[in-house]
Amino acid sequence: MSNLIISILTQSLTFLPLAFAISISYHILRATDMTIDGSFVAGAAVFAKLITMGIPPLLAAAAALCCGAMAGMLAAFIQRGGRVDPLLAGVLATFILSSANLVLMGKPNISLLSQTTLVSSAFEQGDLVGWALTAGYVMTLCLLTLALIKSRFGLTLRAFGDNPALLQRLGKKVELYRLAGFALTNLLSAAAGVFTAQTVGYADIGMGFGMTLTGIGAIILGHQILRRCYSRPYFRIGAELIACLIGVLLYFFSLNLLLSLDINPIYLKMILGILLIIFLRAAVRPQTGSSIS
Amino acid sequence: MTILRINDVFLQFAGSNRPALQKINYQIHQGDFVILLGSNGSGKSTLLKLLHRQYQPGQGEIYFHDKPIRQHHYHQFSRQVAVLNQNVADSLFTSLTVYENYLLMNQQHTLRSRHQEGKTFLQNYLQDFNPNLSGKVDLTINQLSGGEKQALALALCLLEPPSLLLLDEHTSALDPKTSEQIMQLTQKMITQHNMTCILTTHDLDIALRYGNRILMLNDGSILNMFDKDEKGRLSKDKLVRCYYA
Repeated sequence: MSNLIISILTQSLTFLPLAFAISISYHILRATDMTIDGSFVAGAAVFAKLITMGIPPLLAAAAALCCGAMAGMLAAFIQRGGRVDPLLAGVLATFILSSANLVLMGKPNISLLSQTTLVSSAFEQGDLVGWALTAGYVMTLCLLTLALIKSRFGLTLRAFGDNPALLQRLGKKVELYRLAGFALTNLLSAAAGVFTAQTVGYADIGMGFGMTLTGIGAIILGHQILRRCYSRPYFRIGAELIACLIGVLLYFFSLNLLLSLDINPIYLKMILGILLIIFLRAAVRPQTGSSIS
Repeated sequence: MTILRINDVFLQFAGSNRPALQKINYQIHQGDFVILLGSNGSGKSTLLKLLHRQYQPGQGEIYFHDKPIRQHHYHQFSRQVAVLNQNVADSLFTSLTVYENYLLMNQQHTLRSRHQEGKTFLQNYLQDFNPNLSGKVDLTINQLSGGEKQALALALCLLEPPSLLLLDEHTSALDPKTSEQIMQLTQKMITQHNMTCILTTHDLDIALRYGNRILMLNDGSILNMFDKDEKGRLSKDKLVRCYYA
């Protein structure tokens, strides 16, 4: 049982920056950013490649985060001026990234098991120390993002998601905010890739598949549950982060529970999808007086 | 003093077989309250959008303070020309709170410094527009009533009073009582800040009561013009009578 709990907590921890990125993209930028799938892999790929080349882990992580941000900027650039739908731009950016990641890695999988990473020395001292350090990195990143969203820049980013035309009328450079917003979400996603690669011990070209959709499901779930206990009429970024955490924990709880029940992995995503639908339908409060057609 | 000069403006949208605006020539002076009357599709809103640089004229030129509007720096121009639409969602950030909207539209208050001072200022400022609003600075726009939203949109666009205020049927979605309150408030603010205003409406009563110059538009052209001492002629105008029959 304790193994199951540890597994859920550790998986949730590395997935949290990605869920937070999706939450920002979904609730602040009001766009479904599919680039997150690609930048998650890009983060892991760049980090793993640089580590195997002997680059110091901190520098490798910084480069991976920059690559993630650049992937986001690519998606923002494709959308520039609202000419391409954000969803399509994300798909196109991920399409480009899938090739770029493979070129960068040189092979579909890079092992990090024998390499020195940001957390490897901590894990050598014990799992608890290793996970505590990982948690420290993740929470620092999330809290820095939280502070950024609470600043005037964050307020303007929310205004951009709400009404870009009005923001432009106020003299703000909306394309700059689009770039910054998408760079931020993809930087977080790349960070999740970096943490995942370090904790699982490898970077794989297919590790980002379906991450965005999983994340969206998890954050909607977390949101609906949080709304039941804590209802605020206005936006609270702290509550968004808590909602992400709840959603991610529930997702990995379901995943690990299914795995512990020896379910054939072929059916895993199908069952998870159905479970997500059941959770969502149970969590969403029906609108009073609404008609059902 | 002439604030706005429209010279031979013509506009036709791509794919349309008839012009949206044609041969528009008009001058607007400082302090004028110009009403654009006309049926749907007559070109009122299109003209307002041209004046606010949302569209570019196909032919002709619009001058603001004797300089073509396209040559004005966009940010500076936006500060001098404010626009308020029937759809209040165009003029506000609806998922943000009243105070957050104020912060975005007023650069003087930052989030952290003078936070309470900013809220107090906003509460006092809104008191003049709608007493109910001053107690709702922490609510999101979506939680306000239609009248409150419109009063707030007006209040926020007058934070730094523009020299030209463009109102596109800004009261048409409100009930008659609220519409009347907003119109009186609009006129009070216009007089107080000596602003020039252009308002589009279908409401002849509003045109007669508030406008000092009235333009009747039809099929993209100015069909008739009336000054405030000609309001009697307006109500007897054949086209106006036909339109409001």
